[in-house]
Amino acid sequence: MNDNNSESANDEIQSTPIDNDAKAVNIGSGVRIDGRIEGAETSDISGTFIGTLKSSNININGKGAFSGDMLGQDITISGNVDGEINSEEYLTINKSGNIKGVIEYSSLQVSYGAKIQGTLRHRGSVQSYSSVTTDEIKEDEVNENQEGDD
Amino acid sequence: MSLFGSSEKKPELKTEFVFDTETNINQSSLAKDVKINGSLESTDYIDFGGHLTGTLKSSTINLKPGSYVKGTISANTITIEGEVDGDIQVKDLFIKSTAKIKGNIRYQNIDIQNGSIINADLIYSS
Repeated sequence: MNDNNSESANDEIQSTPIDNDAKAVNIGSGVRIDGRIEGAETSDISGTFIGTLKSSNININGKGAFSGDMLGQDITISGNVDGEINSEEYLTINKSGNIKGVIEYSSLQVSYGAKIQGTLRHRGSVQSYSSVTTDEIKEDEVNENQEGDD
Repeated sequence: MSLFGSSEKKPELKTEFVFDTETNINQSSLAKDVKINGSLESTDYIDFGGHLTGTLKSSTINLKPGSYVKGTISANTITIEGEVDGDIQVKDLFIKSTAKIKGNIRYQNIDIQNGSIINADLIYSS
């Protein structure tokens, strides 16, 4: 749509040497990708991504839109996300962030103004299902110990 | 009539008046060892440090570190530094690093600090 912008973007890519070891993903504004990305180090999304994204660092920029599942360590969201977010370390949601879905996090920071609709789960917390199983295990252990004493 | 004649009581009345204009709000503060089963309501500001099972309702609520509320909390502005298990209905919600929250949160604006532990359903309502 913007011929001037796409031409200047092409010029920049040609003039800068591409580092194949950087493991970087960059989805520019106006670009749309459907699919699955794995093994990336840094992912910057200013366009639209639909699918599954696994990357150490994920950055959904202000104009970026994400739909699907994402797994990463440090995640920053300034754009729209619809789906599941799984952050192993730091999750930062800026005031322009708009999220719908399930968020699993270790450390979360949300700026005043962000919109979140869905479920928040802390990774360190014992979920109800796992607490039941550990209790059962403990009971089994106690029973075994009692049998041993007899 | 004796009040008008007494010059000693004048300064007391004056200090009371100054105090009133400076604060201008009804502020309730409940200490750590307070335990409530039931409902606590105010129209202004509650600074809560104790344990409550039931309903907490006010304009502004500040849940201090070490506080625990199980039940329903509703207010215009809530700052959480303690533990909450239940439903929160609020316009402006500030969750501090020491907070621990379980339940449902219905909010308009939210601000969350690093370190807080939240296992909740968030419902955004404009």
